[in-house]
Amino acid sequence: MILVDGITLLCNDLQVDPQDIVMLVVSWHMKAATMCEFSKQEFITGLQSLGIDSLEKFRERISFMRSELKDEQKFREIYNYAFGWAKEKGQKSLALDTAIGMWQLLFAEKQWPLVDHWCQFLQARHNKAISRDTWSQLLEFARIVVPALSNYDPEGAWPYLIDEFVDYLTECGIIQKDNVSDDWSYKL
Amino acid sequence: MSSGQKKRNFQIEAFKHKVVVDPKYAEKTWKVLEHAIHEIYNHNASGLSFEELYRNAYNMVLHKYGEKLYSGLVSTMTFHLQTMSKSIEAAHGGSFLEELNSKWSDHNKALQMIRDILMYMDRTFIPSTRKTPVHELGLNLWRDNVVHSDKIQTRLLNTILELILRERTGEVINRGLMRNIIKMLMDLGASVYQEDFEKPFLDVSADFYRVESQEFIECSDCGDYLKKAERRLNEEIERVSHYLDVKSEAKITNVVEKEMIANHMLGLVHMENSGLVKMLLDDKFEDLGRMYNLFRRVPNGLSTIRDVMTSHIRDTGKQLVTDPEKSKNPVEFVECLLEKRDKYDKIISLAFGNDKTFQNALNSSFEYFINLNPRSPEYISLFVDDKLRKGLKGVKEEDIELILDKVMMLFRYLQEKDVFEKYYKQHLAKRLLSGKTVSDDAERSLIVKLKTECGYQFTSKLEGMFTDMKTSQDTMQGFYATYGAELANGPTLVVQVLTTGSWPTQSSVTCNLPSEMLALCEKFRSYYLGTHTGRRLSWQTNMGTADLRATFGNGQKYELNVSTYQMCVLMLFNGADSLSYREIEQATEIPSSDLKRCLQSLACVKGKNVLRKEPMSKDIVEDDGFSVNDKFTSKLRKVKIGTVVAQKESEPEKQETRQRVEEDRKPQIEAAIVRIMKSRRVLDHNNIIAEVTKQLQSRFLANPGEIKKRIESLIERDFLERDNADRRLYRYLA
Repeated sequence: MILVDGITLLCNDLQVDPQDIVMLVVSWHMKAATMCEFSKQEFITGLQSLGIDSLEKFRERISFMRSELKDEQKFREIYNYAFGWAKEKGQKSLALDTAIGMWQLLFAEKQWPLVDHWCQFLQARHNKAISRDTWSQLLEFARIVVPALSNYDPEGAWPYLIDEFVDYLTECGIIQKDNVSDDWSYKL
Repeated sequence: MSSGQKKRNFQIEAFKHKVVVDPKYAEKTWKVLEHAIHEIYNHNASGLSFEELYRNAYNMVLHKYGEKLYSGLVSTMTFHLQTMSKSIEAAHGGSFLEELNSKWSDHNKALQMIRDILMYMDRTFIPSTRKTPVHELGLNLWRDNVVHSDKIQTRLLNTILELILRERTGEVINRGLMRNIIKMLMDLGASVYQEDFEKPFLDVSADFYRVESQEFIECSDCGDYLKKAERRLNEEIERVSHYLDVKSEAKITNVVEKEMIANHMLGLVHMENSGLVKMLLDDKFEDLGRMYNLFRRVPNGLSTIRDVMTSHIRDTGKQLVTDPEKSKNPVEFVECLLEKRDKYDKIISLAFGNDKTFQNALNSSFEYFINLNPRSPEYISLFVDDKLRKGLKGVKEEDIELILDKVMMLFRYLQEKDVFEKYYKQHLAKRLLSGKTVSDDAERSLIVKLKTECGYQFTSKLEGMFTDMKTSQDTMQGFYATYGAELANGPTLVVQVLTTGSWPTQSSVTCNLPSEMLALCEKFRSYYLGTHTGRRLSWQTNMGTADLRATFGNGQKYELNVSTYQMCVLMLFNGADSLSYREIEQATEIPSSDLKRCLQSLACVKGKNVLRKEPMSKDIVEDDGFSVNDKFTSKLRKVKIGTVVAQKESEPEKQETRQRVEEDRKPQIEAAIVRIMKSRRVLDHNNIIAEVTKQLQSRFLANPGEIKKRIESLIERDFLERDNADRRLYRYLA
């Protein structure tokens, strides 16, 4: 079992910051169940499937792994994998602080301009753990709805937290209300 | 015998000699007939022999002179008709129609006779040669030579129209003559009637009513206008029945309807100070009925009335339910609603012929505005409470039913029936526990009504409350049958055992009971738990009442009817002359807000102030001191000291109830979602929202946002999942 200390050592050997998002990609490849932990089984099968048998090869692969984040399909898989990876064992949902940290890391890759507002909104209005559905739908929201929200549909089956986020954005004047399509009466 | 007879043949031979016919026979015979026709037209027919003339005509046809006979008839008749035409043309002024009528009648008589004489021709010659039969021929000739003659045709039309105009302006005309003339036109064939009279008549009428309606609408109010229109319409119908073709009725009424009603519909309905709204306000049943009957005749007429009525009810209803003055008194609030409902019920039944579409409009309008005020369910329940407490005393059973039915009608309009249930339960609990309910039958009757409306689930808890009351009675009988003798000298205890869950829960702290009562209560507890094992009893001292006998300083004895809290306070004064607020609070442990209210009603209500407060003031503060009011007097021996109860809920109470309602809704929404998804397996977001809303409609209007939260909660608990490909699709996970 490799725990925090071991991972720090591994990172040193690989010459990457343990906070680097690429470690998430590494974990994803190894199908690691939990953050900051690799079981022996995960580590060995992971390296085998990656075809890595030396530190050099591992180090060489890092830049490739970083590029995998640019692939939309892979990014989505990694994003959705991150939820289970980051949450506490035995919990259904993801603690808000962890979630916010992960989002900032992940959306720094994706460059979603609303990510800071989203995190502020959660801290101001929600302050509770995040469900898997909300987690995965947020990526869809960031992907589909343009930052000006002009194609946001209030009846679009978004989780209520996202609906409330949209309300929050218009309320705070970050987004002009008339930009948002469709009628608002539905929410009364 | 058979062989002896010989057969004989008979033969019929033709006459051997020729029948000689007089060569001048046809000419001669025709002369006779022509003469006869002249005589008939000259009113000189008495000397003629029908038999001879018939035979002559018969013979002419038989001898193949039919053609001669027929053409002779045409020319002779034409001659006479032209003469008649001349004489009609010559008639002056008013006598024109009379002359026409008398000539027409002459011609008809003559035609009848001539047809009789020429009957054989009519039957044999005419059908075989496809000529016009005599009677029709007579009519056609009359039409061509008289009615369509240059000098008569237009004059006839103008005269008839002139007479009708005169009749419309109030003159009396000779309707008999008119009937004959119009009948003549009808006899001449539908096309003659239509072309020569009906069409121009309808055109002229349209012009007439167009002008008249414009005049009317400028100088009369809506009610008067409608009266005039109705009268005009009836006049036209009457005219048709007197002297026009029945088929004209629909056509002429159509003209009047179009010109007088359809073209002015909006102007009439919205007429200032007398239009539909004014009529509704003033209960003008007669005018409204007239409007309904007239407007129903034209396209969109009724929907025009209905729309205006609907928006009027909605506007005034909205004003009513949002008026803060009205909301102060819930009973009055509901009475206003009922009054309004009665008013429109009456209008629809008296003026609008109980029209279903109007009733529906009324219902939807009420549903619209009643739900604008979120407190409507509470107020309706308070209204029932008021009625069942005192309002129905001395009211006959049928009338009680009537009132309850009206309440049910308002109940049906409520979107949040569960909120009503909440309040109803609270109010019913208070009624039952304080023994304030006037009529058990009425209570039960309403519950039955609610049950039929909303099903068993809705009322099961309410019914449970009644059962508890009954069981408690039996329990008390049992208790006193066992301990009666032993307890005879002490106070009497009446316990109502309430099933948790059936009754509105009120978390309350049990106050300290006086020692006399405490012992008795313990005795009951052990008795009850002795017969019902495994149960738990807790005292709801905030809900009880007590009857006390009190002797005041001046020797006056009174019986006081008080609440349990008040009893606890008063009993303290058996052992002390005066007590401070704090002392009372410490001794009884009654929650301070309740204690203040209960002291207020003991010390601050004039005529019921059995306690004296130092210093004297309206409100209770924590530094107050209390002593027995020795000077207390009352005219009645029994004094009922009520607690100052808040009739309708205060704002925080309301919030609390609201929250409880919202909490109760959550499992219901989830259950609905699961039910739907279980049968559909896969459903998209909008449909699930729609179906859930529909399923719950009979109890409350589910908020789409709340439904969404419930869906998400179910996703989290793995009852549902979002489809991977289409994120708007939900999937049921069995």
